[in-house]
Amino acid sequence: MFHLKQGPAKALSAALAAALLTSCAAPPAENEVTLDFFQFKPEAVQEFAGLIDEFEAANPGIRVLQNNVPDPDTAIRTLLVKNKTPDVLTLNGNASFGLLAEACVFADLSQEPSAKEVLPAVQDILNANGRCSDTEINGLPMANNASGILYNPEIFAKYGVSAPQTWDELIAAAETFKANGVAPFYMTLKDAWTTSPALVNLAAQLQPDGFFDRLRAAGTDRNNSPVSFSKDYQEVADKLLQLFKYAQPGAVGVDYASGNKAFADGKAAMYLNGSFAVPAIRAANPDAKIASFPYPVTNNPANTTVVSGVDVTLTMGRETPHRAEAQKFVNFLMSKEVIDKYTKNQSAFAPIRSAAPQQDPALQGMASYFTAGRLDGYMDHQLPPSIPLVNITQQFVLDGDKARFLNTLDNEWFKIAARTPKRGDQ
Amino acid sequence: MTHSSKAFYWMAVPALLLFVTLHTIPALTGVFFSLTDYAGYGKWTFVGLENYFSLFKDDRVLSSYSFTFLFAVTTTIIVNVLALAIAMLLNAKIRFQTAFRGIFFIPNVLAILIIGYVFNFIFSNSLPLLGQWAGIEWLSTSILANEDLAWLGIVAVSAWQSIAFSVILYLAGLQTIPADLYEAADLDGAGYWRQFRSITFPMIGAFFTINMVLALKGFLQAFDQIVALTGGGPGTSTESVAMVIFRGGFQGGEYGYQMANSVVYLLVIVAVSVIQLRTLQRKEADF
Repeated sequence: MFHLKQGPAKALSAALAAALLTSCAAPPAENEVTLDFFQFKPEAVQEFAGLIDEFEAANPGIRVLQNNVPDPDTAIRTLLVKNKTPDVLTLNGNASFGLLAEACVFADLSQEPSAKEVLPAVQDILNANGRCSDTEINGLPMANNASGILYNPEIFAKYGVSAPQTWDELIAAAETFKANGVAPFYMTLKDAWTTSPALVNLAAQLQPDGFFDRLRAAGTDRNNSPVSFSKDYQEVADKLLQLFKYAQPGAVGVDYASGNKAFADGKAAMYLNGSFAVPAIRAANPDAKIASFPYPVTNNPANTTVVSGVDVTLTMGRETPHRAEAQKFVNFLMSKEVIDKYTKNQSAFAPIRSAAPQQDPALQGMASYFTAGRLDGYMDHQLPPSIPLVNITQQFVLDGDKARFLNTLDNEWFKIAARTPKRGDQ
Repeated sequence: MTHSSKAFYWMAVPALLLFVTLHTIPALTGVFFSLTDYAGYGKWTFVGLENYFSLFKDDRVLSSYSFTFLFAVTTTIIVNVLALAIAMLLNAKIRFQTAFRGIFFIPNVLAILIIGYVFNFIFSNSLPLLGQWAGIEWLSTSILANEDLAWLGIVAVSAWQSIAFSVILYLAGLQTIPADLYEAADLDGAGYWRQFRSITFPMIGAFFTINMVLALKGFLQAFDQIVALTGGGPGTSTESVAMVIFRGGFQGGEYGYQMANSVVYLLVIVAVSVIQLRTLQRKEADF
């Protein structure tokens, strides 16, 4: 054992305390409230830091502490297990968010003034992922992404191709590029999830109406279910495979970051991704030429929609002790000024009525669909996250075994319905 | 009980307390939740042995077991054969013996996650170039992207890293063998192979046993190297049991269900280790 003499020990703790104090900008005042703000998006930490400064300047007495961690969907669960729900949160509006909302861990925001401003089509997409009860709103959309086909306008112009309106035009365009020795699409099959943007767009427009509602209603009874992946996803699977047949050689070993770089450098005409890839592509090459169009999945342009998900969902802990302050912060973040600024800097779409339209040339092709409400949700947000959808899809794209792919999806779905009967009823 | 032996018991108490609070209690909590439909948060109810029944009907879980065993057995054999060979070389009278021993231990010091990412680059970029140059078709694309070959990449990296530790154990074992045994064998005219079979191998039997048990147990729990190399892909072809438990339990919101999987897996590993110890110890030489 060792003994610290009293003198040095005191000096040490005093020095530590001093170091801690000076590292804070200002020592907390008497009745100051600190909001614990869980912010999931690593790309937007700087953005939110600036917004927090603005908010704190306008609201003395409230301090906001931004926490950003890797793998936020896992981290939020560990916080919840410990009963440490943050006061204010941003989360991706995915299936995982839906499950948490269903477990009633988030506050009801339906009475907030900013909730009235939200585009109804967007709020519906978010609510469909799951909520505590049918009258509540457990999350407000702050920024949306849109999944579409990104393309290089210079390459398109060089070969006289215009943005395709129908599926046949899309395939014809791909053939034109292929015939001229240009890679039609840049595929990044090493990262399994990059197969899903194409899948969700095909599914959104080709699956029968209410597919997932009917599938859930079937419960555990696979044999008598009116809908199933094997029955209703045939065309989705065929078209998905058709697109991925155009993958450049060696695509299986390419990851997302390399794909962004290659597309930014003009190595392919099109890129099957979404608005969320635009900042990453520009980071790889600030002069990248990017434009976009929605997936023309059928030969009727009137059917075309944009698949959009809530990229940043704003919500509050249900039992937060600082409810009034948290509400103030949420309504500040949902204000027109903040959302306009955020969507401009982050290449996102604004989900509120009063917002300025997206001016980014890379996103123009999808902007009109967004404001007109021609939107669909992400199909994968309807699946329980315990189904490894992206891995199953990656496998299918690699081996082309359609029967196995669809059967696996059905099998996983009904297997999980059987072991979580309560979820099957909802 | 004498006074001094009581003191020894008291000395064990802190370690026991730590072990119980950090290991036994969490393990029992896990067993408890395996009987519920707990998602990791929110409300839960008891479901009895429901999770365990579902487990045996879940083909994803079953295929992760077969992948893990295939991987663990293959890697254990490769590691032990190569480690024993290297240990015998390092135990021979060679120049720079100590330096070589140090060099061969380096892989064990490096974190498997980092090694995994380095090898990921080699498999995805360097080897395909080599394959294209040599005109070998299966090597011209990343083997990690090939459903049938990806597991071999994981075997290679795991073996590369864990051979180092087995070598150390075998070296220690080889040094316990008295030199006069070899002298006597030399006088009797026994060849090198005969000496290995009749002296070296039986004399390091205990080390062989512990190496086999530790290696198999370690590889059955494989996780890091798979995350760094394939992430369980392509598709779900290289998902180990530990990975399915992590993904389903912590990311998929099926905490209770995957706890049941963990309990079953714990029993499987214990059973495998016990069987291994029993059969291998019977074959060790007594001296």
